[in-house]
Amino acid sequence: MASTTIDAAATPPTPTAPPSHEVVDRTNRRWALGFAIAALGLWAFYKFALESMPGGVQDAFQTWLPLTAVNEAIVWVICAIGLNIVVGYAGLLDLGFVAFWAIGGYCAGWFMSFFLGQYDITFHFLSAAPPTQSGIHINWWIVLAIAGAVCAFFGILIGAPTLRLKSDYLAIVTLGFGEIIPQVFVNGEDIAGFNLSNGTKGITPLDPITALPVGPEAVSRPLGPFDLETKYLLFALIVAFCVFVSLRIREGRLGRAWLAIREDELAASMMGVPLMRSKLAAYAVGAFMGGLGGVVFAIHVNGVFADRFNFSISIILLAMVVLGGMGNVWGVMIGALGLAWINSTFLPKLGETVNDALDTEINFPSYNFLIFGSILVLMMLFRREGLFPETRTRELVQEPERTELEDMHADLEGDVR
Amino acid sequence: MRTTIKIGAVAVASALALAACGSDSDTASDGATGGAGGGGDTLVVSTDLPLQGAAADANKSANDMIKLYLEQVGNKAGDYTIELKEYDNATAAKGSWDDATCAKNAQDHVANTGEVAVMGTYNSGCAKIIVPVLNQDPNGPMLMVSHANTNPGLTKTWDPGEPDIFYPTGKRNYARVVTTDDFQGQAAAQFAKQELGVSKCFVINDNQTYGQGVAKAFVDEATKQGIEIVGEEAWDFKQPNYSAFFEQIKATSPDCLYVGGIYDNNGGQLFKDKVKVLGDNEAVKTMVPDGFTGYPDFQAQPEAEGVYLTFAGLDQSSLLAQGGAGADLVNAYKEKYGADPVGSYPIYGVAAMQVILEAIAKSDGTRTGITNAVFSGEGITIPADKSVIGKEIKIDPATGDSNNRDISVLQMQDSTETLVKPWIL
Repeated sequence: MASTTIDAAATPPTPTAPPSHEVVDRTNRRWALGFAIAALGLWAFYKFALESMPGGVQDAFQTWLPLTAVNEAIVWVICAIGLNIVVGYAGLLDLGFVAFWAIGGYCAGWFMSFFLGQYDITFHFLSAAPPTQSGIHINWWIVLAIAGAVCAFFGILIGAPTLRLKSDYLAIVTLGFGEIIPQVFVNGEDIAGFNLSNGTKGITPLDPITALPVGPEAVSRPLGPFDLETKYLLFALIVAFCVFVSLRIREGRLGRAWLAIREDELAASMMGVPLMRSKLAAYAVGAFMGGLGGVVFAIHVNGVFADRFNFSISIILLAMVVLGGMGNVWGVMIGALGLAWINSTFLPKLGETVNDALDTEINFPSYNFLIFGSILVLMMLFRREGLFPETRTRELVQEPERTELEDMHADLEGDVR
Repeated sequence: MRTTIKIGAVAVASALALAACGSDSDTASDGATGGAGGGGDTLVVSTDLPLQGAAADANKSANDMIKLYLEQVGNKAGDYTIELKEYDNATAAKGSWDDATCAKNAQDHVANTGEVAVMGTYNSGCAKIIVPVLNQDPNGPMLMVSHANTNPGLTKTWDPGEPDIFYPTGKRNYARVVTTDDFQGQAAAQFAKQELGVSKCFVINDNQTYGQGVAKAFVDEATKQGIEIVGEEAWDFKQPNYSAFFEQIKATSPDCLYVGGIYDNNGGQLFKDKVKVLGDNEAVKTMVPDGFTGYPDFQAQPEAEGVYLTFAGLDQSSLLAQGGAGADLVNAYKEKYGADPVGSYPIYGVAAMQVILEAIAKSDGTRTGITNAVFSGEGITIPADKSVIGKEIKIDPATGDSNNRDISVLQMQDSTETLVKPWIL
């Protein structure tokens, strides 16, 4: 499916198109093809091949790359791609992205569970939930759209008051937003008598999802907790959608406006780029994807818990974007997959393996923070433009600072600028 | 870019090559799987606890104590040899239990074919994620026994839809050895009315599942007992101090304060300011649930003097005084690790493990068999002389709750938790 994405993504080369454009497109096509093959290959591997592997190989995969970890990493990817639009494309530092993840998650909680049944609301629409169950039960594809729209609305809401702020100040406002929204959910059990979020008890379980809302049994049956392969494929489809949207917008008028704002806001506005509209659009599109991520995560976990949505999530998302390579969707994707895997699988299993091999009883979990932090610090020391930087970012980051040039006695007035 | 593409191509190619290899080796591995399933009577039992963040010490201690206990019983349950596997449901990034990790662990429990039962979890929220997955295990349902989940909804009617929503197959597979929040809150309310003779209570909670649960139960029972509830409020554990918080409470002039929550949520500061504003625990009688028991820091705090504590089961000192299996285990633990077990949950962890081992001994060694041993017939009973909590543990085969309903009421006297009286509901 992702390969069709690419055909559409590639703008037909016209004789007047600048040569640099064509290069970008071709790279994107290669990356997309690579990812599509990897994604489908992984699916086929888990679906058909792994079962018949020798026990040792099965164990190794079960230990080091279980499909649940892959599915969880996909959620991070969706959110990171969303954040990349705000941070990577438009250059607006956002420290509160977890808010959208939370709102998306609660949309799933409200519209895909018995939860609102406590107010005697019963509504079913193409859902796999038993028809007798009270509460709102809407097919998850529709909930995805609802969650995206709600988050986009909140994205604009947070964006509007920050339009006049830059860098650190902007970060602080988004940080506030990222703190407020999760707190609302934590304390939302009794808002003037209304139970918004069930507090820290969370909303669980959710309705089972179906591949398609209607159709033959094979594609419209409810997916159980062990249908991980199908869920993986569905989640990957959502990633493909986000990547497609990211790439298409970037090439278009809006994307170029974002890049212009990122690189020099003043110059951009002088050139006639509508600052307000472009920035709000960045928040809205980013938040939309955050909402998708929230729903997918809620489905993955089969519930939504207020405890989860803390500041560290925003920071890790930001780390994924920065590590992967700000502005480059593919880099961000790899950054997100990598960090999510390190956090969920690599660190815990590393401890277990070392302890087993050396017959020691080192309490590895207590060093996890240290290892995780060290990886981040080393990355920033040796490759601060990220693993797979966008070409223009790389050039910017590697350009020497003015003070460094002065140290080298460069003639600033003449050569640079 | 060129090199990265090459790397990508190599990765993809190798993935495909692996996939291709897989289909070749069909027959060979089928035989291997069959062999593993049929032979051997070593069964894996796991613990699923948060080993990072605030609760790490208590849970590490629980794991150690369970290991020690398994050594003591020779790693045997009936004819089966037992092997322990530890899962961690916390992540470094989050520093506490993590819902995604719980979901992952649930899949791992089911996927690890040798594994037959799970001891855990520490947090009720995590149990609500794991139990439905284990319940739908095609080779199950798979048994889970918790030592610390006090949220009533897991086993009995509480919030809408609970507990049936956690058991999609309609069969039960979850039991616990710890009393639910409601009993503790009830006992505290009865004690407050009948023994302390209070009339106006203010109830605060830490806004967490456990704290809210005990507080709610206290309020319900207190109202029945004729105590006036003059207010309910949640404290935020991130606050640096609570003077203003208690000034508000002071305005309602209560003669009793019920604190639903755990000490870890800034309980030290909370009590400092409580005594500063409301006066000592004689002036305004203060009651806390077992989320405050077993903390040396809390015991040493001068502001804790005179606080009444409820505890489900026997507290550690009474347990040691009584002797028997529990006392032996605690002493052995001290000898091996050079410290007391952290809090009261490690000993309950062993009690939960006792239930699992007894179920395995009574079963055919399959997941379904072990679950059925708990949820059919008479269920599981651990007699008082064997039970590490110093009294009989009987699991109700209909609900999975234990019969353990008696509560110890303790009072902090000279920095030690002293038994006032056992309270039977």
